Amino acid sequence: MSLALFWIFAILTLLFAVGVVVFRSPVSSAMSLVMSFVGLAALFVTLDAFFIAVVQVLVYAGAVMVLFLFIIMLLDLRTEERRPVKLAAWAGGGIVLAGFLVAIARVISSLPGATNTKPEILPGLNDVAQVGVALFRNFNLPFQIIGVLLLVATIGVVVLSRRELK
Amino acid sequence: MTPSFPIEFCVLFLGVVLLLADAFFPDMDKRKLAHIALVWLGGFLVATFFLRPALLWASPAGFYLADPLGIFFKQFALVATMLTLVLAIEYAPVVERAIPGSKPGAGLGEFFILPVFTCAGLMWMASAADFIMIFCALELVTISFYIQVAYLRKCPASLEAGTKFLILGALSTGFLVYGITWIYGLSGQTGLSAIAGAFAGIPAIPQSSQTALLFGLGLVLVALGFKVAAAPFQFWVPDVYHGAPTPVTAFLSVGSKAAGFVVLMRVLGPFLTVPEIETRVITVLQVLAGITLIYGNLAAMPQTNLKRLLGYSSIAHAGYLLMGVASVGSPLAGRAIVFYLVGYLLMTFLAFLILIPVAKAAGGDDIAHFNGLGRRSPGLALAMLLAMLSLAGLPFTVGFLGKFFIFEAAMQEQQYFLVAIGVVTVACGFYYYLKVVRAMYWQPVPVDAAPVEFSPLGRFAAAFLAALILIVGIFPKPILDILP
Repeated sequence: MSLALFWIFAILTLLFAVGVVVFRSPVSSAMSLVMSFVGLAALFVTLDAFFIAVVQVLVYAGAVMVLFLFIIMLLDLRTEERRPVKLAAWAGGGIVLAGFLVAIARVISSLPGATNTKPEILPGLNDVAQVGVALFRNFNLPFQIIGVLLLVATIGVVVLSRRELK
Repeated sequence: MTPSFPIEFCVLFLGVVLLLADAFFPDMDKRKLAHIALVWLGGFLVATFFLRPALLWASPAGFYLADPLGIFFKQFALVATMLTLVLAIEYAPVVERAIPGSKPGAGLGEFFILPVFTCAGLMWMASAADFIMIFCALELVTISFYIQVAYLRKCPASLEAGTKFLILGALSTGFLVYGITWIYGLSGQTGLSAIAGAFAGIPAIPQSSQTALLFGLGLVLVALGFKVAAAPFQFWVPDVYHGAPTPVTAFLSVGSKAAGFVVLMRVLGPFLTVPEIETRVITVLQVLAGITLIYGNLAAMPQTNLKRLLGYSSIAHAGYLLMGVASVGSPLAGRAIVFYLVGYLLMTFLAFLILIPVAKAAGGDDIAHFNGLGRRSPGLALAMLLAMLSLAGLPFTVGFLGKFFIFEAAMQEQQYFLVAIGVVTVACGFYYYLKVVRAMYWQPVPVDAAPVEFSPLGRFAAAFLAALILIVGIFPKPILDILP
């Protein structure tokens, strides 16, 4: 059952991810990104990571994508025009992509554990508490650094986007 | 439970205080912020010499490693940041013109404060002993650089550079994270020492998963290759170096490269303990070093813009450094790489420091703008001459010794082919670095040449750097003794 669900959601996630690149209208791309995020959230659920799944939907499919759509509307982006196909660029990109896919396929086929099923998680573990403990106790230092990173990013947004600096 | 890491948090605190000062005293001359930052960073630099590795707190989770190498690169980051601030003070008039402000000096405060945060990130990178920590510190550095590169908002070249850097940087981050997930998935660890333990057999990594581990390591190498500007991941370098504000270019080429190499050496550590993996990793590094050397040096030859030329030269120097990393089996290699980075800091900052007033007077940063500088302002020309000769690797400069130590380590590891490429490319280097010297001493002074103005602080910094290039180039022993 859970294996079937994995395949369904994995394929959905990937299909919509391809859609993000292929669609020419920015709004369609953004909507397929939402669907891709939802598929990813479903994959987290099949891994029993319910909290991460909820956060994925709330933050990424919700907040981040709303921001994306806002920006698309604000900038009034039109559908991308069809560009003439550059054979050399396609061939180069295709070779890189094919090489990368072959590398991944070979790596996965060489792994004996790739066909293992997921082990049962310990009963009675509180998902949210686990994340909290990991974040604020074990990974405290990286967490603080991420805080600094967000501060720097905020400064950057103000500096780069204000019409007139004071 | 919360650990205290004195030095990085001091730097961070300084940054926050400066931000608040910038916000609460809007009428203050913003250059004062840079001067305050300079004094305090100097104080922290002195303080780092009193940090003994053993006294520092070592995390049980192993995120933070305060070994001599880490402490040395903290000092390196502090010095680089201070020099960047000196350059930024020189460069301030250009920034004022290129950002929309309601009054003179608007937006200048952040230009001086952002390098302080970058410095904290670089210092954390120097001590990172865990992939999570490496990722967080690296992103802090990279994101602060995105902002600084795109800082000149009225200048399309700067915006273009920022956008290119952002997109390619995000791509390389993707490679880094993907690689880390493979390594974590196979070893179950993110800590570098824990990964080394896993290789030693606690808990053992099955033989069959080595291909996958190498795949993960390869992806991490791609990302780090991007950070240190190694070919074939160098596409961003010329445009970003050209478009970014000059102090940021200098900081990017020195700080980002040095931190990238420290992380590279730390990440490779556990993987080099396994003989089968080691031979393959060394082969990859040799190939990277060879391509980078050839590409960087050949592509630098036709350049006419000094910033672009220094960009390609930065790629070339990454090649020599990678040659050192590829010879990591030799006991000389670590010290050679660190010495090379020290020399690279001195000469790169000197070149950019001279470039700023010359570009200000001439209105551009092409090599042609240096025409006749030898007669216009002999002092500056002399300093630039030293920087160029040292970058090219002339004896009695720090650049020569840096290359010499790297070649020595490579010879010890019997990398004769790489050394041969290295020697040939050094000869190419003489051609393009001496183009600048030719412009300064053998070209006529342009009729409309404006006098070159240079502040006393800039003069002092230039004289200091030039003196160090010579002193360290002749008596390297004191520096070699400090080095870990």
